[in-house]
Amino acid sequence: MKHGSAHITHLLRLAILAGSLSLTAVHADDYADVNQLMRTGKLAEAQAKVDQYLATKPRDPQMRFFKGVIQRETGKTNDAIGTFTRLTEDYPELPEPYNNLAVLYAGQGQYDKARAALEMAIRTNPSYSTAHENLGDVYAKLASQAYNKALQLDGSSTTAQPKLALIRELFDPNAKGQRPGAQPTPAPAAPAAPAAPAATPGKPPVVAAAPSAAPASPSPTAPPAAADSAAKDVEAAVRAWAKAWAAKDMTAYLGAYGKEFTPPGKQSRSSWENERRQRIVSKNNISLRLENLSVSVNGNKAVAKFRQDYKADALSVSSRKTLDLVKSGERWLIVRESTGT
Amino acid sequence: MTQGFFAFLLIAATGLLSAAPAGAEAGKKHQKSESSARRNSTSNDGVAEARLIEVYRLTGQGKMRDALAKAESLVRDYPNFQLAQLVYGDLLTSRARPLHKFGDVPEALAHKAGATLAELRDESQARIKALRERPPAGTIPSQFLALSPRNKHAIAVDASRSRLYLFENTAQGLNLVADYYISVGKSGIEKMVEGDARTPLGVYFITSNLDPKSLRDFYGSGALPINYPNVLDSKRGKTGRGIWLHGTPPNQFSRAPLASDGCVVLANPDLERIIRTVEVRTTPVVISHKIDWVPPHSVRAQSKTFEEALAAWRNAKSNGDFQQLLSFYTADFNSQGKTLREWEPALRNEVERVRGRPIQLKDLSYLRWTDAADTMVVTFGEVPDGTRTGPTKRQYWIREGNQWKIFYEGNLG
Repeated sequence: MKHGSAHITHLLRLAILAGSLSLTAVHADDYADVNQLMRTGKLAEAQAKVDQYLATKPRDPQMRFFKGVIQRETGKTNDAIGTFTRLTEDYPELPEPYNNLAVLYAGQGQYDKARAALEMAIRTNPSYSTAHENLGDVYAKLASQAYNKALQLDGSSTTAQPKLALIRELFDPNAKGQRPGAQPTPAPAAPAAPAAPAATPGKPPVVAAAPSAAPASPSPTAPPAAADSAAKDVEAAVRAWAKAWAAKDMTAYLGAYGKEFTPPGKQSRSSWENERRQRIVSKNNISLRLENLSVSVNGNKAVAKFRQDYKADALSVSSRKTLDLVKSGERWLIVRESTGT
Repeated sequence: MTQGFFAFLLIAATGLLSAAPAGAEAGKKHQKSESSARRNSTSNDGVAEARLIEVYRLTGQGKMRDALAKAESLVRDYPNFQLAQLVYGDLLTSRARPLHKFGDVPEALAHKAGATLAELRDESQARIKALRERPPAGTIPSQFLALSPRNKHAIAVDASRSRLYLFENTAQGLNLVADYYISVGKSGIEKMVEGDARTPLGVYFITSNLDPKSLRDFYGSGALPINYPNVLDSKRGKTGRGIWLHGTPPNQFSRAPLASDGCVVLANPDLERIIRTVEVRTTPVVISHKIDWVPPHSVRAQSKTFEEALAAWRNAKSNGDFQQLLSFYTADFNSQGKTLREWEPALRNEVERVRGRPIQLKDLSYLRWTDAADTMVVTFGEVPDGTRTGPTKRQYWIREGNQWKIFYEGNLG
């Protein structure tokens, strides 16, 4: 009979969960609960809650991400590697699972694999500063290993393992996953290739970002009123871009990017466009909300900053985004797109 | 990336780019080794260096990412190639922070292994120098005055470039077929006495091919002893023994430019190619401070007075003119411990056996060695007319004023 009652309890739980599914706010609460449990070290409880959630929504990236973090915290390194690896397969656009995979590999002394994972994280999101910092540490460690081999020293005891930063939460609006005091992405010391300025995303935008289209620093050639109307044009261009994205209108979406736009990584423009097409068109439903949009204009250049709440099917990502635009004829076109702090 | 590192590699790369024959040859060599791989199962001599130079070239062109990828695969294939590891380390470091110098290792490592670091920089310079300063097309080392068809190959070592040059002797003359980075003695060259850790300079021959199974790991994939001390060395009172061309230990792909106790050390794949190629007893090994590369026709002009002296010696012996014959030998002649007076009866016997028949010098070779003295190492088969074979003789001649004279003569076993 015990068997029967357990079955009933399970059914009840399912019912309760099913009932909560219609209320999106509840998801956020679940995430917050798990996060809270993890922070206070109640890993078993956190895990139970994660497992329970995943029983009904097995693909949920945030819960799977928590699962990987908990596995790592409880010493199940190989399970954690499995969890994050599957996340990178299902959500290749997310840099965080790659980052954590790298942390796990580095913990095992597999620095080549750590390096490959971090390079993927950065390819996915060129301005992901945690991954940049971790990669810097991994490069330094690999270099130290090579130097020890070159000089025939036994480096195993002399050089400490780098402490790489693990991301604890997938969608981290307050960038808590970043290291304390982390500066915006340090630019790699040697540009990867002259053709890929996107690989040095940490440089501050060329255009100094005024708090908004502030008349306090008017461009000498444009009176405040003109700058103001330019800012409106820029805002309209950005909103049109977001609308085209949500509507999966690929012609309008890709048309929002100027000729000078440099795709992330070492991609060619056409392979980037193909990738975007595949990612966007394959989604059933996309919603995009822009918040705290601020625009600064300097002559024919502009910078738009905002928080982007992106939801596509099961995925929900909130991130900060910066678009650099250049005026071409009558249109403002995107020449640089970066995510993160 | 700071100027120091860039400047170094740019110099390297420019030199290599302009030295088109070197590049072309490296490519050809690779092809050749692939085609000979079918015959010889493996032949990857020179490949690791060619790949290292490719990394330098890419770095010099600012293609850091490609350079890093190539360096990574190079150290994967040759993990014990220390210089490649150093360059790989630099390229990784350059991703994290600017480089200040070639081999920009952390201070602690530089402190612990400063000597090794300096040696790796020397090795890098030596390899680049040898590849930038190629022998002029169609020239040969000035020592190779005449090689016989039996000398199918010849080796010349240029200590100043840490380089060994391997030649094939064809009907058309000597062809350079490969050249390799080498190490010489810890204390350099010009060996004088046993234990001085110097590499001898002179004209030598490979005397045997030692079975690698009989050797310590330290000698790598084999060893080819040479006949140091030779007759001239002994005459000068030089001592020591066991000078070999040999390979590298398992933990080192190559060794520092100055590393051995006097031997010439090659990377194992390079040595293996030499072992497969050369002939014991007939392949000459000329080791010099710096090779003087000359066109073959100027070599022939230089050898004229010696050829005349040799022909006159042959005539005297053919004619049985004993007093005339004796005038070709120096006062301090010495053959296996015998003075000229002690050796005379044997010479007289030979002349009587010839009995006035002309003698032919078959498979004649002579190599010139010039330092404080001007000498010639001569090898031939002495065959009187009417006979099929004769003993193989080796003579050492020396120039006294305008006269060439023999200070050693003996039969090769």
